[in-house]
Amino acid sequence: MLKDILDKIIEMAVQKFGAEYAEARVQTLFKTMLTVKEKNVEAAKEGIENGVALRVLVNGAWGFASVGSFNVEVLADAVSHACKMAKAASLKLKAPIKLAEGKAIEDRVLVKPKKNPSRVPVEDKIRITLSIAKNVLEYDNRVKSCTVDYLDLVGTNYFMNSEGTYIEQDKLYVWSRVLATAKERDVYTFSREEVGSTSGYEVFDVETPEAVGERVAKRAVDQLKAKPPKGGSFPVVLGPNVVGVFVHEAFGHLAEADLTLSGSVLMDKIGKKVASEVVTIYDDGTIEGAFGSFKYDDEGVTAQKTLLVKDGVVVGLMHNRETAKKFNTQPTGNARAEDFRVEPIIRMRNTFMAPRDYSLEELIEDIKFGYYFKSFRGGQANLDGTFQVGIQEGYEIVKGEIGEPVRNASISGNTLETLHKVDAVGRDFELWPGRCGKGQTAFVCDGGPHVRVLEVIVGGSA
Amino acid sequence: MAALKEEEVISLAEFAVKYALDKGTNEAEAFAYEGLTTTVAIERGQIAKSSRIIDRGLGIRTVVNKALGFSYTNMIAKTAIKEAVSKALKAAKASKPDKDWQGFPTRKSFAQVKDTFDKAICELSPEDLVKIASLMLEACERTDKRVFPVEGGAGASYLARAIANSNGIAGFDYGTIIECSLATIAQESGEVTPICFEFNAERLYKIDPEKVGAEAARQAASALKAKRVETKSMNVIFAHFALQQLLYYTLMEAVKADYVQRGQSALQDKLGEKVASEIVTIYDDGLLEGGLRTWKFDGEGVPQQKTPIIEKGVLRSYLYDNYTAKKEGKESTGNAFRAGYLSTPRIEVTNFRIVPWEKSPEELIGGIEEGLLVYSVQGAHSSNPASGEFSVVATPAWKIENGKVAHAVKGAMIAGNIFDVLRNVSALANNERKVWQLVTPWVHVENVKVIGK
Repeated sequence: MLKDILDKIIEMAVQKFGAEYAEARVQTLFKTMLTVKEKNVEAAKEGIENGVALRVLVNGAWGFASVGSFNVEVLADAVSHACKMAKAASLKLKAPIKLAEGKAIEDRVLVKPKKNPSRVPVEDKIRITLSIAKNVLEYDNRVKSCTVDYLDLVGTNYFMNSEGTYIEQDKLYVWSRVLATAKERDVYTFSREEVGSTSGYEVFDVETPEAVGERVAKRAVDQLKAKPPKGGSFPVVLGPNVVGVFVHEAFGHLAEADLTLSGSVLMDKIGKKVASEVVTIYDDGTIEGAFGSFKYDDEGVTAQKTLLVKDGVVVGLMHNRETAKKFNTQPTGNARAEDFRVEPIIRMRNTFMAPRDYSLEELIEDIKFGYYFKSFRGGQANLDGTFQVGIQEGYEIVKGEIGEPVRNASISGNTLETLHKVDAVGRDFELWPGRCGKGQTAFVCDGGPHVRVLEVIVGGSA
Repeated sequence: MAALKEEEVISLAEFAVKYALDKGTNEAEAFAYEGLTTTVAIERGQIAKSSRIIDRGLGIRTVVNKALGFSYTNMIAKTAIKEAVSKALKAAKASKPDKDWQGFPTRKSFAQVKDTFDKAICELSPEDLVKIASLMLEACERTDKRVFPVEGGAGASYLARAIANSNGIAGFDYGTIIECSLATIAQESGEVTPICFEFNAERLYKIDPEKVGAEAARQAASALKAKRVETKSMNVIFAHFALQQLLYYTLMEAVKADYVQRGQSALQDKLGEKVASEIVTIYDDGLLEGGLRTWKFDGEGVPQQKTPIIEKGVLRSYLYDNYTAKKEGKESTGNAFRAGYLSTPRIEVTNFRIVPWEKSPEELIGGIEEGLLVYSVQGAHSSNPASGEFSVVATPAWKIENGKVAHAVKGAMIAGNIFDVLRNVSALANNERKVWQLVTPWVHVENVKVIGK
């Protein structure tokens, strides 16, 4: 039995190698992947990824080993390696690592999808992805290419630690990304959408091939007649999709406690006002079916709804057990590992700005000239609070009305300065699935309502 | 755990191919991968973590009536491989025929490569890596007290790959990589700099951790007291990392044959045309001595090669894998890339080398009356890969005034089109270095749009 093997390995770490703390994280995973380019299926792909991650704390330092095997001898060898690694790492240790207290949990978490992707024949997944591509390509003859990636993964994670926690947790993710390019004379445009869910294959009943296909294709085509934005400082209205990436990239990363400790601009701002009072931000791991939700994180801590900013004041950070100890607080369930090959690090889940009371019309009506940025292409932030968000769908705002489209815009600024300039928050709300990279990939959602910002730098080539 | 032996890995790959053919596939290909990596990590000023990761597996492609199936397993054993073969076959049968499919590559002699393996790297203990990381850390701390080493570390990897296909290709190659890196920030009277970064990665055991530590510290310290700049077009020197970031999401995409064939590249129909300043020459050199992407064969068993991309400003070739090459009746350029055993091949550059010039970096700066020196950019991944348009933050970056670095710059964006950038290259330095898949010196570009305050 797997549980007995893990028991034995954890015991070895503690008894034989003197670990203060030990954990074993087992992954059994089955993946289906498809790539469709135009009307061709590039390949139908299926794979198995089974393995074990062993993490130990010896002499106050971390040791980690991962292997693709459940064999007891291989695991015994790996755990001895992990302890050796920890001892080596402790040689130059200045401040030993300690963990916030953990509750011993025993649980079995089942997923209950309406449509389990592992029971959907691959033919049906091919039919859906081809149908998305067809909808994109047939939207307009200026659409030149379409790539659809599809991924589902289904499996079970087993987590055991030396403090009595044992959790079996089912995992289910369904994801698709659609990319399209359009061309007219010398103008090339590019458009992207993602679909993602932890509830099941039924996500395609809402995000139908027709709906997703049209969204992607229409944007690529509309951008063809767009002009480059003016460079400079302007008032902007950000759509929920852009607010989401702003909240995630520009603010969220700074509030990941490991990065806060690394010297992010939030370090000396806890309990202080960092944004205008209309700004409230959450990172929530408990939204049912959302792409960033789960019951337990990869340290066996229960995921919660974490309030980060309340009415403009920083009230919380995202923690693992190590940083929670440093801040003398509780872990928040943000420790996530992409797979058994890597160790858990602090990651976001579903991050969003809470809605208030404005309508989109009210947000726009007072702007003489500015921009409405509806959808993002990518974003990135730095510890000093410099952020950049690339825009894939944007419009001018002229005399209080949405005007002509602009292409390849991006916005930048300092996060805290920009959060202070948020002067009105809308009453609508959307949450968008995405993937976040921090050395490892994590599935997340970002979102919020429409938001007005008095001033932000718009990077444009005109 | 010791590395798998050459015969063992090849025979597993050949077994997978043979088993797939026995099971009724028309064609088959197996790619086996093994990575043994030991790392020591620096977190917030101290070494507190070490890891050993063993990752091996085998990916198998099968073809049934021109439809492709792929499956992989990370359990290197015959039963798991058999299961993967059956899954790949089932996937191929469920998939749709691709009329452009013209078979796997045929056998050619593999390339000769140099300086890709060093036994000394395989023999490094975690304690040795701790020593490397502390040398780096101490050099950083010595350089400037205002600097905080945020994260970094040292790592040593042994990587091996084997390929076999039903056209008789069978091969094995192995190599090593050692690296150390350090990310820093500096803090002074309430000001925090952006992250500064330095690294050194080599195939042979000849890295200089002290230089990395000192340079990461120097950068962060000199990024303090940053000021805003005006919005205007100016001269920009792009340093190594900034170029890697910008080119990876633009030019390196635009030269891929599948982008070109599918109308997604601004370089479509431009072969033989001038697309860059005439001092720009770029090779994709899969055989570069000690190159971080140098291998005897690519992810499909095609020998890697040196391919001219741009010579004296003129576009010479795109990069091909077997599929896109056969579609045009050409030969693959050996650019099929695999992310270990987990994926089917896709086109990627190998060592993308911008040929340097004779000017020193100081001469490059000295020749500029007003401009920016950009070490890194933020947001390059939001570039438009089809058009080459980008709009990014230059950070860390420094203002150049009267031939000298005057002060650090904050909040400056640069926007434009990568093909305009290539046309406006007016000088290249002699400080060539390897930055992952890019090998480049500093590049001086005229007339770049800078958006300041």
